[in-house]
Amino acid sequence: MTALAEEALIARGLARKAARRRRANFIIFLGPAIVLMVIFFIVPVLIDIAVSFTDLGRALRITEVSTANYERIFAGDTRLTQVVALTAIYVFGTLALFNVGFGLLLALVTAPLNPVSSGFFRGVWLLPRMSPSVLYILLWLWVVDPSPTGLLNQILLTVGVVDAPLDLKTSAPVMLIIISNGFIGASLGMIIFTSAIKGIPVHLFHAARVDGAGSLSIARHITLPALRWPISFITIYQALSLLVSFEYILLLTEGGPFYDTTVYALYIYRRAFEGGQYGYGAALALFLIVIGIVLALLGWRFFDMKKLLQSPRIEVH
Amino acid sequence: MTAVDWDALARRARVRNRARTTTLYAFLIAVSVPIILPYIWLVTIAFSARTGVAETHVLWRSVLILVPTVIGCWVAAVVAVTRRQMWIGILGVAAIGIAVFAIVVGPDLHLRNFIFLVEPDFASVVRSRVGEVSGAVQFPNVWKAFLNSLLLAGSQTVIVVTVASLAGYYLSRFQFPGRAGMLRALLVLHAFPVLTLIVPLFLMLYYIGLLDTLLGVILVLVGFELPFAVFIMKGFFDAVPWDIEMSALTDGASRRQAFVQVVLPQVTNGIIAVSVFSFIRGWEEYIFVFTFLISNANWTMSLYMFFVRDDVMGVDYGVVSAVGVFYLVPSLLLYAAAQRYLMQMPISGVKG
Repeated sequence: MTALAEEALIARGLARKAARRRRANFIIFLGPAIVLMVIFFIVPVLIDIAVSFTDLGRALRITEVSTANYERIFAGDTRLTQVVALTAIYVFGTLALFNVGFGLLLALVTAPLNPVSSGFFRGVWLLPRMSPSVLYILLWLWVVDPSPTGLLNQILLTVGVVDAPLDLKTSAPVMLIIISNGFIGASLGMIIFTSAIKGIPVHLFHAARVDGAGSLSIARHITLPALRWPISFITIYQALSLLVSFEYILLLTEGGPFYDTTVYALYIYRRAFEGGQYGYGAALALFLIVIGIVLALLGWRFFDMKKLLQSPRIEVH
Repeated sequence: MTAVDWDALARRARVRNRARTTTLYAFLIAVSVPIILPYIWLVTIAFSARTGVAETHVLWRSVLILVPTVIGCWVAAVVAVTRRQMWIGILGVAAIGIAVFAIVVGPDLHLRNFIFLVEPDFASVVRSRVGEVSGAVQFPNVWKAFLNSLLLAGSQTVIVVTVASLAGYYLSRFQFPGRAGMLRALLVLHAFPVLTLIVPLFLMLYYIGLLDTLLGVILVLVGFELPFAVFIMKGFFDAVPWDIEMSALTDGASRRQAFVQVVLPQVTNGIIAVSVFSFIRGWEEYIFVFTFLISNANWTMSLYMFFVRDDVMGVDYGVVSAVGVFYLVPSLLLYAAAQRYLMQMPISGVKG
């Protein structure tokens, strides 16, 4: 009797110990990550929602709580239409021309080359991605410098294409931000598409050749179908990143001339930090946060959920 | 009954093949030149510009030598049959290129633009060279900015790697209620557009009192790097065979001991990849430091670079390029050294 009770007691003690160890493990391993992510993702989102209902300005004092910011977004802000239209042009233009279009072209062209040459050209195209943003944009500023000593002007004037130096920053600013972002964006597509092309079984190409297919029809009927998933992956993730990033635009044109290159994300930044309207900026940002979460949820399809969620095989803690 | 002229057919196929290869290479060279040229310009100006003006003739002379050299090296690499031949060819062409370069461009090269490395008050020197005496910006010593950047990138990396290894291991190896939900949340967070949170973060840092401190920026960057890093680390832990861990447990180790002594050494590649990735992110960071750091004692290299360009002495291309080279080289070296590890990483980073 007493022996049984003792055994039960020991068992309960062990169970309690195991539970304590399980809790301790959870806190040690996962605690720091959870705390940091809550502080830097969830808390800011909540603050953003709260601030969007206030008139918080440069004085950092709240005098009024209302939906005025939202009314302004939907009715009062005449500049917003132009900003949204520009954002659409910028995102779709860059995505179609460079991130997908040119990335695909580079991958298709470099894939059949020997490893040394293809590595070299891919390395060149990775250069902008590997350069710090401030420096990369500095190079652009020099290339399009409006004086005759700007790199582009030197070339164009020498060749004789133009008579007077060009000033692309004022005459074609949208084209400029699309190209400068596109040079960076193309490399990610290039890498992902290249590895997808390398994953296609070689015998398919041989079989097509034997059947008399030319390079173009091979690309059309073998390579492109195999790239369907990578292309949609790049489209969604790069659309998201183009939509929210404004670093290069801020450095290159500062959103100007006037508001001509101010995309939505930059518009938030300018309203909040140049105009000192933190409340209005927060309200504008909320829409981008929602779009961001939706696009990130769309990205779920690209992950192998079963593999991601496969359960652990050891139950000991 | 017509006899097939196989030789003619083969010849035609060869010609067509060669034409196609030539077109491919011509296209690739044409699209690569616009990217390489500005970088060559940067380096040339950094080592050759004397006064306020960019000395363009040096650029074109060096381009005329560098481009054939690079193409020569590449041809040597392509035609070589063995690895030995390839290196001999490349070194031979490079040696000729360097010799010609030294003769033609050598006399124009100098290091005076790197004055900012030794002269704390280089700004006044450069400004007087440009013809302006006063400038709006007071520059700190470049080494101060360099150290700040190292500190920012380094400490952020250490925290990210530590926290992400712990969390990645737990998510990969432990069963707990809410595990699936947490992994799904992580998938959303790792693509979450963090730049949209810049306004609330600014306010948060202001109220906590961490605005205009390196610590504030470090914490923000850590928070944002974390989901991606945890994700990558979990992938690496998933690839470690269970048997290793089971035998460690059978030998009497606890889970924590097994983690530190047995599993962690298996994911060194993952740790290196995540470290390099976060370090580069910290080294290149611009928007957050620009928004959250105000006083020039806290400047990082990106801010230093930005303000050198923005200041009156921005017209002195020589000094700006020299700062640019000084800022760019560590990045490129790091990428080159870690390329092998970065390539093992499942690429889903979001940039540009």
